[in-house]
Amino acid sequence: MTLVLAIVVPLVAAFLIPVFHLARKTLPVSLIGIMGLISLSASMAAAYAGWFSPEVSLLGGWAPEIGIVLVADRLSSAFLLITGIGSGAALACALEKFGGGPWRFYAIFFLLLGSMNGILLTGDLFNLFVFYEIFSVAAYLLVAFSMSWQALEAGLKYLVLGTIGALFILLGTAFTFMATGILNMALLSEALVSVPRETLTAISACLVLGLTIKTGAFPVHFWLPDAHSSAQTAVSALLSGVLVKVSIYALMRVCFLFFLETNGTVFLAITVIGSLSALGGHLMALRQDDIKRLLAYSTVAQIGYILIGVGCASAAGAAAAVFHSFNHMLMKMGLFIAAGNVSDEKGTREICKLTGLWKEKPFWVLGFTVLSAAIVGIPPLNGFMSKWFIILSSAGAGTVIPALVIAAGTVISAAYYLRVLSAFVSPGESDQEDPFKSSPRKVRSKIVSLTIVGSFAMFCLALGIMAFSPFSREYFSSIGRTAVDVGAYVGLVTGR
Amino acid sequence: MITLSYVTSVIIFCIGLYTIMARRNLFKTVLGLALMESAILLIIVSSGYIPGGVPPIEPFMGPAVNPLPHAFTLTAIVIGASDIALALAFIIKLQRHYRSVDLDRIRGLRG
Repeated sequence: MTLVLAIVVPLVAAFLIPVFHLARKTLPVSLIGIMGLISLSASMAAAYAGWFSPEVSLLGGWAPEIGIVLVADRLSSAFLLITGIGSGAALACALEKFGGGPWRFYAIFFLLLGSMNGILLTGDLFNLFVFYEIFSVAAYLLVAFSMSWQALEAGLKYLVLGTIGALFILLGTAFTFMATGILNMALLSEALVSVPRETLTAISACLVLGLTIKTGAFPVHFWLPDAHSSAQTAVSALLSGVLVKVSIYALMRVCFLFFLETNGTVFLAITVIGSLSALGGHLMALRQDDIKRLLAYSTVAQIGYILIGVGCASAAGAAAAVFHSFNHMLMKMGLFIAAGNVSDEKGTREICKLTGLWKEKPFWVLGFTVLSAAIVGIPPLNGFMSKWFIILSSAGAGTVIPALVIAAGTVISAAYYLRVLSAFVSPGESDQEDPFKSSPRKVRSKIVSLTIVGSFAMFCLALGIMAFSPFSREYFSSIGRTAVDVGAYVGLVTGR
Repeated sequence: MITLSYVTSVIIFCIGLYTIMARRNLFKTVLGLALMESAILLIIVSSGYIPGGVPPIEPFMGPAVNPLPHAFTLTAIVIGASDIALALAFIIKLQRHYRSVDLDRIRGLRG
């Protein structure tokens, strides 16, 4: 029941917001805040239930062979936690920035929240596609929400590539259905063993290609930098921190369930895509002048790291990938919020013009510094720990090249993050007294955003230190073991 | 007959993908998306076909065709329609800004 509520509650909120708007023209901030809290507590309840006792919910009481099932195990719970924290932070930033004015924004936001929970909980391949499309349409709308021409262009690019990806997922689903006659993911993992090799190749090619386009990995990443840099700050943070992780969950779930025992080539392909993303993303980020585009290309590279972890096809690799997903959510959301606020106040996004910030806004720069140190991978911080685990599991899986790619990428990322930081601390134009220049624009102080950035930075430090203790490592490796344990998932769904 | 519909759908899918990749006109891109979607729907619908099958409505007079693909197709049509409607809305907005639907003239976000 908790699983159904996690999907239904945000959807009800998305429906209620326009109704409230019809009744009274401006929505009170507290109303949206309360709706957000209720929705997030519904997803946290599902995460809690799934973490401690894996839960299955048969919709309408139909057997798994013919009905739709919702499943929450430790992998879903971990990603529910990631999306919960991330979308809560994004909602708080949006409420601070926009207030209760743009009711359409909040309706789309809650639609997105509900469909994300749907993707994370569903155990049915076609239902995954349906939720994925609700999720994608909401994401296109959020990207284009400001209606500036950059946003519209980025939204259209995202839409065209996202729809091509969705069509490949649909084609893969159709082939799967034609080959086996079922759509339940747990039963499919058993049925696909007896499918001919050629059919299996076609199915895996379609599904992996579609999910890769949706994830935004390197060869098909074109939409990602535009979408992430053209959207508003809260949306950029949400896109980079949360939406990418949901796509990675779908990729992990589908690949581990379907292809772990049947088609090992899939994981080799994912490793190759991951290595290319890591290198390509970092190299593209190096030559960006726009701070938000730089962060977006850095996201492409971090997706590559996570995919390398997934491509190890081992419990350790999956655990490292989930840990890095969590860390990347914290780091990149914090970085996007800090960069967005700083550049909004300066009125420019060009790195070379973002000077003298250390004197004006020391707290923002401090938060940005800690988070970028974490994403580069300075040892006591969490970014180092998760990269280290990915390198270890990649080397353990017998492929050293991805591990070397991660090490090389770290050097490149240090170069471009240091460039941003050196611009931040360099003395700015405001140091010279200019009588004609008016005092800095009055901008409402962003206490909530600053608190979020600060707490994410503290969280990064805490997670980095926690990763040394065997107790918390045990927690993360249990996620990895759940991810690769296909038999337990099948047993959970079928009740055998 | 079922082979014919599979071959047709493969051809339509390729035409759609080619249109998206080769044409610079945004409306043709959307047409390509619609073609690709129709091709996949054609595959799904034909997969439920049984030679000599009857409509899956009670009472059955002989072997009924599989109704599940039809339900998928309906769902996918709705999803595809919303995607294409959104794409057209974006294109109209962009056309008002650039006075063009040619991808070569709309190049604000290159690089």
